[in-house]
Amino acid sequence: MFKNNEDTHKSDKIETIIGPSVKVEGDFAGDGDVIVEGIVIGTLKTKNHLRVGDEAKVQAEISAASAFIAGDVNGNITIEEDLELKSTAKIHGDITCSKISIEKGATINGKISMNGQKKESINNSVIEK
Amino acid sequence: MYLYIYDVFLNDKKYFNLLNKIENRLADLEIKGKICRLNLLKNMSEAIDDGIKQGVNTVVAIGNDSTFGKVVNAVADRDITLGIIPIDGESKIAEILGVPAEEKACDILAQRLVKKIDLGKINKQYFIDSASIDDNNVSLNFEKYQISPVGKTMISICNLGFLSGNDSIYQKKISIPTDGWLEAVVTPLKSGFFGKKGDRAPSVFPFKKILVESKGDPVTVTIDQQTIFKTPVEITVAPKKLKVIVGGERLF
Repeated sequence: MFKNNEDTHKSDKIETIIGPSVKVEGDFAGDGDVIVEGIVIGTLKTKNHLRVGDEAKVQAEISAASAFIAGDVNGNITIEEDLELKSTAKIHGDITCSKISIEKGATINGKISMNGQKKESINNSVIEK
Repeated sequence: MYLYIYDVFLNDKKYFNLLNKIENRLADLEIKGKICRLNLLKNMSEAIDDGIKQGVNTVVAIGNDSTFGKVVNAVADRDITLGIIPIDGESKIAEILGVPAEEKACDILAQRLVKKIDLGKINKQYFIDSASIDDNNVSLNFEKYQISPVGKTMISICNLGFLSGNDSIYQKKISIPTDGWLEAVVTPLKSGFFGKKGDRAPSVFPFKKILVESKGDPVTVTIDQQTIFKTPVEITVAPKKLKVIVGGERLF
């Protein structure tokens, strides 16, 4: 299912999987790792790693310890540590994180703040490595 | 002290020789105890209550999955260790617990490897393995969010998931009956020549309490392939609720 993605994060146990067969509405909060391949509307919080697959549609405010995003996100993203955006990622919202990795082809419509300080402002642009 | 409860159907004389063999094996292993044969006038809860008054601390149910489903509900709220002796090789609950059929089960009882496992609770009834929801027209309401299936899916609420119809749930240890959580598992289905088959990875939501509601007419919820409920139902986890004697071949 996830063979086309290259998330380097490793975990002993995946806690929650929001697959393409479900739609989640409301304030989702989890303590463990979360994988999203379906639809999420509302807020999405986890104290651990978040992975948004390339077919996922997220209309939510996101906060997580770390994240790998390859799908569509419409909402602000707050990541405590590393954020990795794959080429298929489409972000409409502001990003706050400590470290960021952006693959060629990813699109970001919003501001990026590193460690709480605004380093870059990007509007309707395509990021290249 | 052991209490052996024989289910009603074992009163048929065709089981006489088999029960004799079991009783002889229990005597050999020095774990004989009080025997209670259920009948139309004596139910399981009464038998267990009487046994507790006489000092029973281990109840052994002899019968099939229907028997074990009833005895789980009868002992879950009592400080009792449960053992089972399956009367044929078809018991799924026995397979989960790693208990072989007939006399061989006596050896497992004698070894007395006791595990505390979680139970699921639907309305006021406990289940040991899973609850299956046979219709997609439902919503699963968690504390602050709800999920709705998209397309054709199979929905299971799992403590272990062996009876859920999706073998990967227990094989991949998606649901573990000792972790204090239940899992709502939504598996996409694909129709084909050989029937319905899951073709994509399932969605998995660990939880302690959910409300299952129908978006239309009430929907059937079946627990452990036996008892049927209609929506709406509340499902909760009862952590470490059952003390049960298990074998080395158990599935968890």
